[in-house]
Amino acid sequence: MKIRDIARRAGRSLRQAKARTLLTSLAISVGAFTVTVALAAGAGTQAYTDTLIKNNGDERSLTALAKGDSQNQTPKEYDPGRSQAAQQNLLSDDDVSKISKVQGVESATPTYNVSPAYMTRGGNAKKYEANVAIKSDRTAMTLEAGTLPASNEIEKGKVVVPSEYLGVLGFQNANDAVGKTIMVHFDKLLAIRPDMSGQDTTFTIAAVNKQSSLQLRYTPQLQISADDGKEIYNFQHAGSGQENTYGSVNVRVTDSADVDTVKQAIKDAGYEVFSLKDIQEALFQFIDVAKWGAAGFGFLAILASIFGIINTQYISVLERTQQIGLMKALGARKKDVGRLFRYEAAWVGFLGGVIGTALAFLTALSNPFIAKSLNLEPGTQLLLFNPLTSVILIVALMLIAVLAGYFPSRKAAKLDPIEALRTE
Amino acid sequence: MIEVRHITKTYGRKQNAFKALDDASFAIPDGASVAILGKSGSGKSTLMHAMSGLDRPERGEVVIDGQDILKLKVRQIDEFRSHKMSFIFQSFFVQANETCYDNVSLPLEIANVPASKRREKIERALKAVQLLDKKKSRARDLSGGQKQRLAIARAIVNGPTILFADEPTGNLDSATGEVIENLLFAYNKVRKGTLIIVTHDPDLARKCDMQIHIKDGKIEKVETVQKGAKR
Repeated sequence: MKIRDIARRAGRSLRQAKARTLLTSLAISVGAFTVTVALAAGAGTQAYTDTLIKNNGDERSLTALAKGDSQNQTPKEYDPGRSQAAQQNLLSDDDVSKISKVQGVESATPTYNVSPAYMTRGGNAKKYEANVAIKSDRTAMTLEAGTLPASNEIEKGKVVVPSEYLGVLGFQNANDAVGKTIMVHFDKLLAIRPDMSGQDTTFTIAAVNKQSSLQLRYTPQLQISADDGKEIYNFQHAGSGQENTYGSVNVRVTDSADVDTVKQAIKDAGYEVFSLKDIQEALFQFIDVAKWGAAGFGFLAILASIFGIINTQYISVLERTQQIGLMKALGARKKDVGRLFRYEAAWVGFLGGVIGTALAFLTALSNPFIAKSLNLEPGTQLLLFNPLTSVILIVALMLIAVLAGYFPSRKAAKLDPIEALRTE
Repeated sequence: MIEVRHITKTYGRKQNAFKALDDASFAIPDGASVAILGKSGSGKSTLMHAMSGLDRPERGEVVIDGQDILKLKVRQIDEFRSHKMSFIFQSFFVQANETCYDNVSLPLEIANVPASKRREKIERALKAVQLLDKKKSRARDLSGGQKQRLAIARAIVNGPTILFADEPTGNLDSATGEVIENLLFAYNKVRKGTLIIVTHDPDLARKCDMQIHIKDGKIEKVETVQKGAKR
């Protein structure tokens, strides 16, 4: 018999036992549903974690530190010839240029700490305390007004102001602030009196940023470019011996290079390196474990439903003894009869898979509700469905069903037509 | 030509052994109508099963067109049955939930007849038994006589050379039975198919060219009715 004819007859006999077919399929669909939702939740959580990480740091950035040689070592004898940077476990300009020459490094920017005295609009305006941070990575910011280049970097002479500062600085709103200037006063750290030798630096407001629920930590602070940061740092630290020594270096990896390879190369050059990717990987691993754990329950449900299929198929064979006998009398081969019942099982598996997956997809409707109740950023989809996974799952369920239908189908194939057609 | 040679079939073992067929031999010419007559338990059904290769007797030969079908592999016998033989049963065995069309389609599907050629054959068979108007009806909605007519359509759709009918009128009243008999003999006469009817009804047997009387597994006598034998 042709496969198409057998599949058609299999489908027809299932339609004739609608309730039984549906109930058996529902058993499978419970498993399919659980697996699909578990995988969707895993994918959604992963995507959300990814967004979180991207909003809190740059995954293509590394932080390089001097290798702490104090660990497990007795202190070295003082050597005036040894650079201060080396003595204090800090990095020097030499280190910065060494790191920047590593293959795959786009740029290496030292982290500068600057300490402002106050900020003001200038003239007779009031002065306010301020935090100033130097933005040397490409982490995204949530802007209320203004724009930044696509790389999320701040240009020299520009500043990003937090929305919390707008009021005291006398701006009506965020849009009003963009394009205006503010002044920040920095003192030389070695000055005897703060007012002696400070300098005012004027910045143009490029953008106004605000807190986003995706940001794990948020401090309202002025953010300036690395170039400005360097100048101010050197101005403030002039004569202190800390000029050109840095606690850490922010390394940017070129788009074409592999972050892990670059990380290893810098490590080999003699530095401690951390990356956001390490955290990301650890988190993803954890999510994976949770995801497959949940999917495991689904697989158990599928396992249980296998016995349902076997049972149903045995009943089906018993019910259709005469039909099987007739087919064999008419010359149907064992193979054909066996196939008829295996295809029936496959249809049941298909139906169960489709019902389960469809129900699972419906749960995606609850995404806005989940995001709201968990206080996540609006629009976050914590259940993320992948159609390809579902197709694979349905095909797998069909195969499982066929395997489950093996024994009943063998019973059908072996049926003696003479016995089957005996009417007495 | 169907030659049955020394067929012996035993059921059970040792003390319980029971010879359903005991050294049965006879020959049926092509295109004949044959009645296998005997009481219930005489072995007539076993004989039909052996002649169609459904059952395997432990001894003997069933030679059809020069080929001993009992020596064929299972696959080859299945193939042989799907192309050359067909069956009509006392209790019809039509698939109640299927339409008449699908019921008649089954033997064609089994014989791997291309889908494009099926429709014509099915409709011709349904027309022959006057059920063409019931093509789309489900078999369960048919009367007993209609069901048996449907079974005949199913049996003749693929043009078998041998048609086995096991008590074809056993479940029908005499008027309906006659319609069925006429259809069977029409196939035998017009399409030249060998018709083998297993029955215990002497009236039906008398209408056949040949009567094979069987008792306790033995062929009692083979009668050939002169008028119809050569047509």
